[in-house]
Amino acid sequence: MLLTGLICGVLLGFVMQRGRFCLTGGFRDMYIAKDNRMFYALLIAITVQSVGVFTLIHFGLFDFSAGQFSWLATIIGSFIFGIGIVFAGGCATGTWYRAGEGLLGSWIALFGYMFMSAVMKTGFLAPVDSSMKAIALPTNSMSESTGIPTVVFIALLVFIVTTIVYKELKKPKVVIPSLKPKYTGLRHLLFEKRWHPFVTAVLVGIIAIIAWPLSAATGRVYGLGITTPSANILQFAVTGDMDFINWGVFLVLGIFFGSYIAAKGSREFRFRMPDAKTGITSFIGGNLMGFGASLAGGCSIGNGLVMTAMMTWQGWFSLLFIILGTWTASYFVFIRPQVKKKVSATSGAYLA
Amino acid sequence: MKKKLEVIGEICPFPLIEAKREMEQMNDGDELIINFDCTQATESIPRWAAESGHKITNFEQTDDATWTITIKKGAL
Repeated sequence: MLLTGLICGVLLGFVMQRGRFCLTGGFRDMYIAKDNRMFYALLIAITVQSVGVFTLIHFGLFDFSAGQFSWLATIIGSFIFGIGIVFAGGCATGTWYRAGEGLLGSWIALFGYMFMSAVMKTGFLAPVDSSMKAIALPTNSMSESTGIPTVVFIALLVFIVTTIVYKELKKPKVVIPSLKPKYTGLRHLLFEKRWHPFVTAVLVGIIAIIAWPLSAATGRVYGLGITTPSANILQFAVTGDMDFINWGVFLVLGIFFGSYIAAKGSREFRFRMPDAKTGITSFIGGNLMGFGASLAGGCSIGNGLVMTAMMTWQGWFSLLFIILGTWTASYFVFIRPQVKKKVSATSGAYLA
Repeated sequence: MKKKLEVIGEICPFPLIEAKREMEQMNDGDELIINFDCTQATESIPRWAAESGHKITNFEQTDDATWTITIKKGAL
């Protein structure tokens, strides 16, 4: 039964690699390129999942309780996570799938991420984690605290997203030159064609729905999740305790293999070693990601894609602060160095 | 004039950022050859070029996860 996690992960890794489903890049480009396409794609994936999962819950396939809302931990953790993903060059899932593409910088980030998550969950920082999470509001469900039925929130989201998609698709298209196709048919579709982010988003949403009943069947009533399973791998490795092996562990390993298959099939796999500076930045980024995601109770997938779809405060607050964290780090990593270079170039010319 | 930008080993979004900076200092009709190996740039570089009105005169995969693209400034 745990193997269904592997299948789900392979599908997700494949789709994300081929669809270039990079949330870090998406959040970053909202700010540095004024490009919201990837954010809209995420909203589509959230909506698809929300409709699907609440339908399954309605028919009694499983139950979901949102629990309490550790607001302080969610806000601080998400902001730190947002900074971390810019340094690591990819969010948690992004790092898993880039590791599958052979980027050794992502392997370094992944190790930092697993390590710090494990330290936060069962290591010496566990008291920090639990004391911050203790600051909480009793209800996490948006419906429970407002008295408005969940279906109203879902309908609102469907309306907003439909409007956005309609507007985006109506915009005049710029022809973007692509590589000459070498294959035809299914091989072209799977390993060559550029996927529209919205199509990728729908596929991600569907995989996110399927994840719920498959995972629930193994006793883990949750959807896609990356942080806890990533920590579990390291925890299992150092303790040998089989309790750490669960559906999620197979899911994240699946993402790695799925991305490898997708990259290999499209000639996009190669072991690539970063320079020392990128290596160090990746390691620091990975640690910030692990710290932030553990504190926030989820990463850009667990909170940003899943808890948002479940209509929880945790999900939406986390998404907001991950984005703010990404923008803050983007300013220091991408914007400021450019401004500085320009200033020094002009002042140099003036002196000459 | 032709100019080469080697960004093999650089991760996203640096190849695009550097391409933009190089392009600013070039004249209309000049060509910029970018060699890169970050997968996301296969999407982001052509998109930026097309949207800012430059012409892509060559775009090919040269090896596993290695690409080259030539962009002619403002020639669309």
